[in-house]
Amino acid sequence: MTDDASPRLTLLLALADDDLILGHRHSEWTGWVPHLEEDLAFSSIAQDEMAHARLLYGLALDSLGEDWDEDRLALGRAPDGYRNAVLCERPNRDWGFSLARQFLYDTADDERTSALMSSSWKELVEILALVRTEEAYHLDHARTWFRRLAGGPVAAREHLAGGLEASLAEALAIFEPLPAEEELVASGVLPVSSRELLGAWLARVGEELEAASLDYVLERHAPVGDLVPTASGEIEETPSFAVPGVAREDGRWVHRGDFAGSGGRWGRHSEDFTPLWEDLTGLYRAHPGATW
Amino acid sequence: MVRAPGDPVAAAVWDALTRVHDPEIPPCSITDLGIVSAVRVDAAAVEVDLLPTFAGCPALDVIREDCATAVAAAAPGRAVRVRFVNAPPWTSERITSAGREALESYGVAAPSEGAPRACPYCGSRNTVQESAFGPTLCRATHYCRDCRNPFEAFKPKLAASS
Repeated sequence: MTDDASPRLTLLLALADDDLILGHRHSEWTGWVPHLEEDLAFSSIAQDEMAHARLLYGLALDSLGEDWDEDRLALGRAPDGYRNAVLCERPNRDWGFSLARQFLYDTADDERTSALMSSSWKELVEILALVRTEEAYHLDHARTWFRRLAGGPVAAREHLAGGLEASLAEALAIFEPLPAEEELVASGVLPVSSRELLGAWLARVGEELEAASLDYVLERHAPVGDLVPTASGEIEETPSFAVPGVAREDGRWVHRGDFAGSGGRWGRHSEDFTPLWEDLTGLYRAHPGATW
Repeated sequence: MVRAPGDPVAAAVWDALTRVHDPEIPPCSITDLGIVSAVRVDAAAVEVDLLPTFAGCPALDVIREDCATAVAAAAPGRAVRVRFVNAPPWTSERITSAGREALESYGVAAPSEGAPRACPYCGSRNTVQESAFGPTLCRATHYCRDCRNPFEAFKPKLAASS
């Protein structure tokens, strides 16, 4: 389905699959977060993200055949049909990691949805206007806890810094160029290229990290993890996935170099994706056509 | 909102909608919550557009079905279509004053910007928001420092800046 996907579909799947997969990870916190308020917060954010994915899948159905529906789009694709950034599929580890990831992801999502508000695609703008009224609460949650943990006792700060170090490189890959990037930019559907969005996001995150004296994670973050084949059948040899480097120049954090190889936006995932996919889609695959 | 003047069925449809309630906030009708965006009535059909308060609200399907049932009873013989639409985004300014009273009577502080919410139990404004999240997507968790009760407040929702 995604081999001949229209440019618009590649954009929608990137946006929607990020929300669906990260929403699934957030939902795994239900009943387990260190305290009740955060249990409700992560559960609510998960519920919102899945609803946002659903709105975007609804728009994607307009360009797909009648044999597609919301459930099939969300749950009925093969693993390499999912176009989420690898960051979203990583297991929750500890709460500090989850919070660091939520901070990096929701800041990135804010940058791209803000840019998309001037997209030439009116139906998408309509959906994202609604989505942004709810995302404001997610961003507020992430920034409040970011500052609280950064200024908190040593253990809190270490958990946050550890989470940032582990997720930063893969957060850069949220802005991996889309398969149909040039057409999307030329038609005004994507008014700002992924590369420019990456620059804006990195400058913004750099400022927030500097304010918390955590900018050292930008220099010593972990590399992106290895990706593994997620397709069945003949596996094509592809170069390793790598993200641009980061450096501080003229008072701001900038990216240097390009992406190499291909990652989540091309359906290539980490070893963490398949178990998540089996969990997420198991019921749907076991009972074809069931309604609930 | 579009009302067809002179058609008694249009009035009956609106009247029916005032009796459909949000299952998560029983005292509040959907017209008081401001989620009815448009009603179109002609000789053959009735169409109702609804706005979701929060996109992930699990009550949406129930509300849509309850609306369809109520409208069908008020407009016998006409085709009924009830759907949720994405624009304009619902904001908490759409809640009517009757809706705000209904929320307060249910123990949920009505949405407001800025100043601490009034405690729905004792009226004190010596309160604090503990979390922007709560038992449903549309409610936040607060605490009253005077009567020492936790309470819920409807989340304010504003049109996002672009």
